Amino acid sequence: MKIAVCVKQVPDSETRINLAEPSAELDRSGFTRVLNPYDAYAVEEAIQIKEKLGDDTEVTAIIIGGEQVMESVKKDCLAVGCDKAIRVTDELDNAEALQIAKVLTAVVKRDGYDLVLCGKQAIDDDDSQVGIMLAELCDMAHVSVVTDLEFDGNNFTATREIEGGSEVVKGATPALFTCQKGLNEPRLPSLPNIMKAGMKPVELLTCADLGIEVPAAHTEITTYIPPAKRGECKIIENEDPAAAAQELAKLLREEAKII
Amino acid sequence: MPNIAVFIEQRDGEAKKVAWQMINHARKITDASGGEVWGVFLGKDAGNNAADAGSWGAHKLFTAIDENLAGYNSELYTTAVASFCSANNPDLVLMGATAMGKDLAPRLAARMDCACVSDSIDVNFDNGFTIRRPVFAGKCYTDVNIKSNTAVVGIRPNSFNLDQPGSDSATAETFDPGIGGVTPKATVAEVKATSGGAIELTEADVIVSGGRGIKEADNYKMIEELAGVLNAGTGASRAIVDAGWVDHSHQVGQTGKTVSPNLYIACGISGAIQHLAGMSSSKCIVAINKDSNAPIFKAATYGIVADLFDVVPALKEAIQSLD
Ligand SMILES: Cc1cc2nc3c(=O)[nH]c(=O)nc-3n(C[C@H](O)[C@H](O)[C@H](O)COP(=O)(O)OP(=O)(O)OC[C@H]3O[C@@H](n4cnc5c(N)ncnc54)[C@H](O)[C@@H]3O)c2cc1C
Ligand SMILES: Nc1ncnc2c1ncn2[C@@H]1O[C@H](COP(=O)(O)O)[C@@H](O)[C@H]1O
Repeated sequence: MKIAVCVKQVPDSETRINLAEPSAELDRSGFTRVLNPYDAYAVEEAIQIKEKLGDDTEVTAIIIGGEQVMESVKKDCLAVGCDKAIRVTDELDNAEALQIAKVLTAVVKRDGYDLVLCGKQAIDDDDSQVGIMLAELCDMAHVSVVTDLEFDGNNFTATREIEGGSEVVKGATPALFTCQKGLNEPRLPSLPNIMKAGMKPVELLTCADLGIEVPAAHTEITTYIPPAKRGECKIIENEDPAAAAQELAKLLREEAKII
Repeated sequence: MPNIAVFIEQRDGEAKKVAWQMINHARKITDASGGEVWGVFLGKDAGNNAADAGSWGAHKLFTAIDENLAGYNSELYTTAVASFCSANNPDLVLMGATAMGKDLAPRLAARMDCACVSDSIDVNFDNGFTIRRPVFAGKCYTDVNIKSNTAVVGIRPNSFNLDQPGSDSATAETFDPGIGGVTPKATVAEVKATSGGAIELTEADVIVSGGRGIKEADNYKMIEELAGVLNAGTGASRAIVDAGWVDHSHQVGQTGKTVSPNLYIACGISGAIQHLAGMSSSKCIVAINKDSNAPIFKAATYGIVADLFDVVPALKEAIQSLD
């Protein structure tokens, strides 16, 4: 089985956005960059499938991004068990999801993967789009927001989260899954494996190599806007908790008018 | 003169409230700028939806009625909505940013090769559409302009208020979903409900959440009891989900659910940046925490600095005794 894992490097979840007023640009220079947390579930799932199926299963991490993404690729993909990586080098850093999906489609079609794993969402743009678009463009089945995945030969049974429950989806490979927390517990890389990861093959590609033009965007971000400032918190000062609770109930009813 | 199509999501025949919120908002745009609002309904029978869609402001309701569209199937629904779009050319297709809408929108936009904007909170029209949406888990917002002829836009539930319904009915039309020859590559074999009757957080008007301050799993009952009197959903911080005290479906935050209720009550939650990411767009936030320096108070509208074991049961009683 040939497995592709599509990964992205994102600012870590502690990142603070310093934006005083609406602006056409966002300063991203001070961000600490990490593997997108949902992509760690995708990487782990691929490795577990390889461990189950044996060595003729090959796991390739695919990433579109600049040189700096290689740190995450080495530490969080190759060092934990991906066999190789492909990096598409065109400048597509803040490209929209469909542009990314079109480039990934060219890679997936060239190499013919049986299984493609993505994160359910990148925690910077919060799009939740790329994986599903890639499945559509590759004419594959997909299941999004997967918390459980089983294979029986080429047939899969995937469980995905929906409001108030779950959906169990069945189908056959080739297929794409977007991974959600709960699917597995990603392993951590060991120091020796991080050292060895440097020796695993990394293929560098451009859109031109893939025989496509750099896809054009259908959307444009015109403005970045800081969240509306909240007023001061009104602290209910009352030594007696029961009285404070009554006061709060009254404020919610009469001032906020929400209960 | 924009024509705006609104996908009316149904489960077991019942339409989601977010559909009416979108229709209501779309109608304000077309009243100001011309054009029409079209409801698009897929299912095994049309039910009352023409009357309902009309009362919220839709000019027309387009239905595709087919046994195979009774429940959600990503490929069949994509084909059906794409068929509708190629026959009617809407300028915008709105759908709820729900489990279904988030799954359908990207597949549809990829098929139509058009703009796709997820999880948005506002839509404006002025010489073209501008969509506002949070990024970085709500630490920042963006305004997005659409450059393609049509666009698929997901709308976060509760982003638009619902006005009073009118008495109009939408003109009922049907369309061919074009699914005749399509054999989907994946199918939904089963839909399981995890918690009978529990209020879904992403749709809830009120949420009561508990964090590590509740001290042990059993005390989550206290959160549930307060939620009970408010008809609220119950949320949780990641700390108590990871501890196994409550199921992940309750987790609010960057790696949990993003919620925007009218009222969010955080009990024994410190207010870590990843938790705030999931709930800071709530209209009113109440923090109950014994540490007056907890960051949650920076996000809160009202705060009580005290032991939650005293305050939470007292609040339940105080709310019950409001008339
Ligand atoms: C990549 C990543 C993603 C994350 N995603 C999420 C997420 O989605 N959601 C999330 O919630 N967190 C998330 N976190 C974790 C987050 O950083 C915090 O660790 C977590 O939110 C803390 O939970 P808590 O507030 O319940 O616990 P604590 O931070 O331990 O806070 C407990 C609070 O309870 C108060 N307290 C204690 N006893 C009482 C009492 N008797 N009465 C009143 N108050 C009391 C304390 O003063 C304290 O403020 C994420 C972290 C990372 C790194
Ligand atoms: N630049 C990229 N290179 C490779 N995969 C990506 C890239 N951007 C997004 N993805 C994949 O698509 C998923 C969803 O991203 P998004 O649609 O941006 O939320 C991510 O979790 C990755 O699996």
